[in-house]
Amino acid sequence: MTAHAVATRGLTKRYGRDTALDRVDLQVPDGAVFVLIGANGAGKSTTFRLLMNLERPDEGAAEILGLDTASRGPEARAQVGYVPERLDHSYGWMTCARLLQHVSTYYAAWDFGYADHLSKTFALRLDRRVGTLSKGESRRLQLVLALAHRPPVLLLDEPTDGLDLAMRTRALSLLAEHLADTPATVLMSTHQIHEVDGLADHMGVLRDGRLVAQMSRDEIQRTVRRYRAEVPELWQAPPDLQAGGVRSSTRREMQWTLIGDERAVVERLTQAGALVREVSAMTLEAAALALLTQDVTR
Amino acid sequence: MLVSLDPTDARPLYLQIMDEVRRALVVGTLRPEDPVPSVRDLASQLVVNPRTVSQAYHELEREGVLYVRRGQGTFVAAAARSDRRTLGRKVAKRAVLDARRNGLGVEELIATIREIAAKEDRRPAVPASTTTRGDNR
Amino acid sequence: MMQASLHPTPQARRVLAEQVRAVALALRWPFIVASALLGAATVLLTIGLLGADAPIDFRPELSMLPGMVGLLLPIAVWHGEARFGASLLWTLPVDRRWHALAKVGAGWVWLMALVALFVIWLLALTLLSGGTVLAEEMLRVLPAALAPVGLPPAAGSLDPAALQTVRWAPTPLLWLVPFTGATGAYVLASAVPLGVRQPVRWIAGTLLVLFFIFTAGDLTKAAWVARALPGIEPLYFGRYGFDALLTARTESLKTIATLSTGETVSVWRGVPDLGHWAIATLLWTSAGLIALWAAASRHRERR
Repeated sequence: MTAHAVATRGLTKRYGRDTALDRVDLQVPDGAVFVLIGANGAGKSTTFRLLMNLERPDEGAAEILGLDTASRGPEARAQVGYVPERLDHSYGWMTCARLLQHVSTYYAAWDFGYADHLSKTFALRLDRRVGTLSKGESRRLQLVLALAHRPPVLLLDEPTDGLDLAMRTRALSLLAEHLADTPATVLMSTHQIHEVDGLADHMGVLRDGRLVAQMSRDEIQRTVRRYRAEVPELWQAPPDLQAGGVRSSTRREMQWTLIGDERAVVERLTQAGALVREVSAMTLEAAALALLTQDVTR
Repeated sequence: MLVSLDPTDARPLYLQIMDEVRRALVVGTLRPEDPVPSVRDLASQLVVNPRTVSQAYHELEREGVLYVRRGQGTFVAAAARSDRRTLGRKVAKRAVLDARRNGLGVEELIATIREIAAKEDRRPAVPASTTTRGDNR
Repeated sequence: MMQASLHPTPQARRVLAEQVRAVALALRWPFIVASALLGAATVLLTIGLLGADAPIDFRPELSMLPGMVGLLLPIAVWHGEARFGASLLWTLPVDRRWHALAKVGAGWVWLMALVALFVIWLLALTLLSGGTVLAEEMLRVLPAALAPVGLPPAAGSLDPAALQTVRWAPTPLLWLVPFTGATGAYVLASAVPLGVRQPVRWIAGTLLVLFFIFTAGDLTKAAWVARALPGIEPLYFGRYGFDALLTARTESLKTIATLSTGETVSVWRGVPDLGHWAIATLLWTSAGLIALWAAASRHRERR
C-alpha cells in the first residue's frame, strides 16, 4: 500500500444492516488531487471518518503516508488537514482567534503568518465567538484550521458546502495557491464537480459503498468516450452493449458512454452492426455523471 | 495576460493553456520579453492544479516560446514566433469537425466561410465575439 | 515529491499546558460566580461576626463545599464539548484516551486552585475573627445505643449524664480533607460525561431513585428502610462511606440535640477517625480512577 499517500485495502464499514463501505480499495497517488464523488449516503464521509480513525472499520485497513490509521492514529492525523462534513459545535464559547491559537499548539508546523493570511482572505472576524458564526464562516474557519499547518495530506469532505458562490471560488483559488506553495496530496469530496474540474487530476466514484471506478484524468480523457452511432430501427444491442446505451425515440440512433481504447471500441460497435458517427471526449463532470448513474461497460 | 478556459472543452487542460498563450502571441496581447503570470498566480486565477500550469509552461519552454529568468519568473522568449500556422490548423480542425457533425461537406463549408467573411468585411469594425454564433444572417 | 520528514505529533507537555489554558477559559463563568458567592458570604459573615461575639474556628474539614464543587466541576469542564462523534477534540493528533484524561487533569488543576482559595479564605476569616486554628476541643459523645445513624435523637429525651466527654485534638492532616475530598468526587464525577452520551439523564435518574428511597424511609419513620436496603446508607454514612471521603465524617457524625434540661447542644455520634478517612479516601479515589479509566477507554484508538 506504500507509494500512495492515502490508501485503503478492503475497507468495509457497516451500520447495523446498512453497508456504508464495501471492500473499498482506494489508492490516492502522492501529490494527486483526487476527487471522490458519489450520491448522498454513498459512503464518502464514512471514508474520511475512517481515515481519521474517528470510527473503526469492520474489515480492512487504511494508511496515510504509510502510517496505519488505526494503530498509529495520532501520527497519521499529524500529517492531515481535515475538513469534516458537518460543522463542529464544540468550543462555541471560544473566539476564533483563541481557537486558532488552541489548535496551533498541536501542530509543530503551524504557520502563523499563513493562518493570518488565510483568515484575511476568508474575511473571518477573529474576535467573534465560534458559536456565533454563520454556517459559511464556520466552514471557512475549518478550512483555515486545515490549511494553516501546511499538512502533506488534505482530507476535505465537501469543503465548499455552505459557502456562497464568491466564497467558493475564493476557497478553491486559495487551494490552488496552497498547492503551488505546499506540495500536498488532496482527497476531497464534492457535489460540484465542475468547480474542481481544473484542480482534479484523479477521480473516484462511490456507489452504494463500492468504489466502481478510480482513474487519473489522463486515463479518463484517453478511455472514457461518448459514442454516437446510427443503428437499424429493429436492431438489438448485443448483451455487453446493452447496459448504459441510450436510444433515440426514432430508434435509429444510439449513444453509449464506454471505457476502453477508442479504436477497439469502435471496432466492437461496428462489428455489432452500429455505424459510429461521432466519438467525443468527455469533461470530467460528464464522465462522473456517466459513472455515477449508469453501469459503464468496458 | 488574461486567460480563460472553455469549460466545455474536453481536451487536457495544459494543452488549452498552451493554446491560450499561443493565441495571445498571435493576437498581440503578448509580446516577446513580456512576463507571463507565475504558476501560482495563473493556477489561482484559473482555479487549476499548479502542476497543470507547470506542465503547460514546461512544454512551451521546450518549444522555445517561453523561457525562465532565474529569480525573476517566466517570460516570452525573444525569438518566439507567433505561431499562426499551428493556431490556424487548430481553428480549421475544429471547424471541419463541427461541419462534419452538422452534416456539412468541406467544400460547402469553405464556400460559406468566404460568404460570411465578405459580409463581415463590409460591416463596421466590431470586436470579435464568440456569441455571434447563433446569427441567422 | 515524497515528504522527507513527517510532521511530528505534539509533545505531551504542550498538550497538557494548552488543556489547562483551554479549561481555564471554559471555567471562567464558574470562577466568576464562585467569586461573587464568596464575596457575598464574606460580607454576610463579617456582619454576623460584628454582631455576635463568637469567633470562627478553622475547621476546613467540616465543609462539604469542596466535595460538592468537585462533583459538579466536570459539567463545566466538558460543557459544549462533543464527547461522542467527530468533534475537533478527537481529530487532533493526540491519542484520544490520553487526550481525554489530559482534559480531566487540567480541570483537576483548577479544582485544586479553587479549593486552596476556599481554604485560605476560611483561614483569613478565622484569623480576622480571632478564632483558633488548631485548638483542642471537648466533644460530647452520644453512646452508640442512643444514636442510630441517620436520625436525630428525639427532642428532650437526652440525659446529660449519658453524654461522654472526649478530648479531641485535630491534626493539620485534616486540612488535606477538602483537597482529597474534592479530588475523589471530581474523579468519580468526571467518568460520567466521558462514559455516557447523556449524562444528565443518568444523573437525574439516579438522583430520582435515591430521592424516592430516602423519602420513603423518612415518611414511614422507620429505620427498617435503612436496614432493608443495606447498601445505600453505609455507602454514605458508613465508616468508609462517601461522607468519610468528603469530610472525614465530621459532617455526618455531628448533630444537634436537645437535652432533657432544655439546652441545645451539638453532640457527636462518634469521634472522627483519621485512619478511616485515609482508607475511605483511598477506596473512593481508586474507584473513581478505575471508572475514569474505563470511561476514557471508551474513546481509545486501537480496538
